[in-house]
Amino acid sequence: MLLFLLFIPFVTGLFLLLLRKDACVRITALASSFVSLAITLVLAFSESAPVFSIDWIYFLGIKFSLGFDGTSMIMLLLTNFLFPFILLAGFKEEQKRASILYALILFTQSALIGVFLAQDAFQFYVFWELTLIPLYFILLIWGGAERRKITLKFFIYTLTGSLFLLFGIIYLYQLTPGTHTTDFSAFSQLNLPVNTQIWLFWVLFIAFAIKMPVFPFHTWQPPTYTMASTQGVMILAGVMTKMGIYGALRFLFPAVPQGVLFWQNTVIILSLIGVVYASVIAFRQTNLKRLIAFSSMAHISLMVAAMFVLNYYSLQGLLFQVLSHGITIVALFYMVYIIEQRTGTLELPLMGGIKTFAPKKAIMFLLVVLGSIALPLTAGFVGEFLIITGFFQHSIWFALGGGITMILGAIYMLYAYQRIMLGENKNGLQNLTDLQSFDYWYLIPLILVIFCLGIYPQPVFDLLEQSVKTMQNQLMPNLPF
Amino acid sequence: MNALIFTSVLGIILLYLGLTKNKKILAPVAIVGLMVVLFLSLKDWGLGFSFFHDMILIDNFSIAFNVSMIIITILIFLFGFDYYKRMELHVAEQYALMIFALVGAFLMTSFSNLIMLFLGIEILSIPLYVLAGGKKASFRSNEASFKYFMLGSFATAFFLFGIALVYGASASFYLPEIKTYISQFNGDLPPMLLVGLLFIVIGVAFKVAVAPFHFWSPDVYEGSPTLVTAFMATVVKTAGFAAFYRLLGMGLLPLPEPIEKALWVMTGLSLLIGNLVAMKQGNFKRLLAYSAIAHSGFVMLAMLSQHDSAASVLLYYTFVYSLATVPLFIIFILIKRASNGLEHISAFQGLYKKKPWLAVVLTILLMSMAGIPPTAGFMAKYQVFILSISAGYLGISIFAILMAVVGIYYYFNVVREAFTARDHLETIEITWLNAALILVCSAAVIVMGIVVWNLPI
Repeated sequence: MLLFLLFIPFVTGLFLLLLRKDACVRITALASSFVSLAITLVLAFSESAPVFSIDWIYFLGIKFSLGFDGTSMIMLLLTNFLFPFILLAGFKEEQKRASILYALILFTQSALIGVFLAQDAFQFYVFWELTLIPLYFILLIWGGAERRKITLKFFIYTLTGSLFLLFGIIYLYQLTPGTHTTDFSAFSQLNLPVNTQIWLFWVLFIAFAIKMPVFPFHTWQPPTYTMASTQGVMILAGVMTKMGIYGALRFLFPAVPQGVLFWQNTVIILSLIGVVYASVIAFRQTNLKRLIAFSSMAHISLMVAAMFVLNYYSLQGLLFQVLSHGITIVALFYMVYIIEQRTGTLELPLMGGIKTFAPKKAIMFLLVVLGSIALPLTAGFVGEFLIITGFFQHSIWFALGGGITMILGAIYMLYAYQRIMLGENKNGLQNLTDLQSFDYWYLIPLILVIFCLGIYPQPVFDLLEQSVKTMQNQLMPNLPF
Repeated sequence: MNALIFTSVLGIILLYLGLTKNKKILAPVAIVGLMVVLFLSLKDWGLGFSFFHDMILIDNFSIAFNVSMIIITILIFLFGFDYYKRMELHVAEQYALMIFALVGAFLMTSFSNLIMLFLGIEILSIPLYVLAGGKKASFRSNEASFKYFMLGSFATAFFLFGIALVYGASASFYLPEIKTYISQFNGDLPPMLLVGLLFIVIGVAFKVAVAPFHFWSPDVYEGSPTLVTAFMATVVKTAGFAAFYRLLGMGLLPLPEPIEKALWVMTGLSLLIGNLVAMKQGNFKRLLAYSAIAHSGFVMLAMLSQHDSAASVLLYYTFVYSLATVPLFIIFILIKRASNGLEHISAFQGLYKKKPWLAVVLTILLMSMAGIPPTAGFMAKYQVFILSISAGYLGISIFAILMAVVGIYYYFNVVREAFTARDHLETIEITWLNAALILVCSAAVIVMGIVVWNLPI
């Protein structure tokens, strides 16, 4: 079952390369992504959690072992739920070399599933790097202006972090007792000296910090998001950033709990700086895509802070927010795509008054924006509420800092909305058309999920209960829960 | 031993075949001959022989490295089918000289006496001096040959001087005896012995182009005929490192402290200079030359960890590196032909449009060079890092990791060029044999990255 989940996108991707007709390519890719989604749902609601494990490179203690817990399940659900939408986002346009593009997207999906299923640090690392290769080409070939320079920067930046992670993995590996192994479960039983944990924390964390990104490792993000194609940016913002969070949960808590405690406040403060910094910059942006890039950074920074507050509510909230942010951001980027397609620009000063010509679009956009600024009844609200509750238990000042995100987020998103949809009509926007039926069918499921999760989030919490408890237990000797 | 003799005879046969003026039979004869050598070598696996009063010691270590070099040489000869088709004169000599160089390489992997090492290095080098000047009409080829010869002789002089000094101190050429002699000093060596050892190390370091003894390599790589460059970058390097390991890792362990320090400096400098200078290279051959220096740094790192499995990591690293390097040079030859002799990396532009599969293969090979999973190059670097981190060399490992990032930068610069559009590109012609070989190599690079073995040598 797990092997199927892992290899279906990959094999389909290979198959796509043989196809000639664009329509066939699209249908096949979409079908494959729906199969992945179906398998994930079956796994999520089945009682047993299957595992798969064989020796891979025995003399280096490397296993190829797949398995999942609640945290991985959230990530898998998010990934496999979003990929059909990511594929669909390209269906409205003619794309050059569609078969290669869709194959690359499916390869990325496969690698992402591999990351979330991996139970072995080496295997995790291999898949972690593998996600980057197809994405690199998606950005390089189908990206926008100045893509050559920006893509290379993105690539080098994230690989630098990854290589530090590799160093950390090897360091942990050679400390494991007996014949060394890279199994995650072995890492959690190491009990390293505190001093080691303190420096090792950064070696491990830097890879994830770059991927998320946490201030001050974020400089690759805005240009990359702006330049990337819609599908590329959806993968990046929707799933890739969550990979950073997932990695941090997988590595830091089990292996270096003391290090996490030692750096707890530093990381929270960095994240909160990131929140405010990104929000303020987002407010000043004139390019819609850049604005959303910064808003995404603000949200992620809040999640990172939540991770390091280290209590039950914030961890629950964090994982819930992972899901809700992923879905919301994909919906947002789809709206951006539609707006760009119709108006031919992303510059806010050139837009305005779209509401009068395209009222349905305005309503849809409003719903998505509301989800993004965490209005009650949307999924974002549940997540951020829990996160802020967690902050309160830690320190009132952090809670205040975290609360600012919600306010600032509301300010810049609504301000942007106002500038795009309301107000005077700008020249050249007269002959806009409203949403097509394709767009409806695209957006309505996303919006429905956002609201459903906001109204009845309990199933997700049930799923998470066990793994959040485990994470707490890993820190339990050190923390008064 | 049979392998050694047969290889020498093979070289002579090829020279005589040159008299028949029939170019077509040369490559098949050479390849079949090497297959026989391969078989003869493998037959001795696990047995262990010594010859000439223990001056040559054929053990699993030497056989493993010999086999790896034979395979790479066969690969180069297979590519030679197409490459030497355009050449009218002296084709037989080219093949014969490479075979003779291989004989020297065999000696370098199996010596246990410093005189044998010296003979091996010389037998390897002299054919290379000639091969580097293979394009007689080309100014740069002559320059490469001359430069290589001058600097090579200089290094040989160092090496000989070192042997003389060590002999003067220890009264022996045999490694085990030198080792016993060293061990009686408890780390505080007499200056004469120390200087002698240092000179020997410098002599070998020159052959494998470890910084700061690397200055010849970019010029020689650039000027030599590309297939010879491929030979130098792979077989010669492998032989050099095998000799290095036999000398230091097996022969002289534990290393005397000053020598170890000197080696650390070389490692650090190779990583630094190789990578940083490669970043600025526009010429693809020079880029590979500097990146080869950087790879030398990684190999040194494995060697200096003084771990038992260092030999097998060394073998894996050099083989995997060679397996990616040879097809890279071949692709470069094809590109160069298509773009009227342009050697700049911008010649790769438009490759994706013209030959998509070649661009993909190029990416895989460069990924292996850069050490990105799931390629064999990644597994090689991974094992090197395991060795060096387990040995406790954290600082230099971090440094090596940073340098690996730089490596990724310049390798992906080439990938980026290949995926950049260019309109005016001549068609790239590629024979089916070359295409198949390049595909096989890149497939092997991936398979070896997933199925990793550990050879106890």
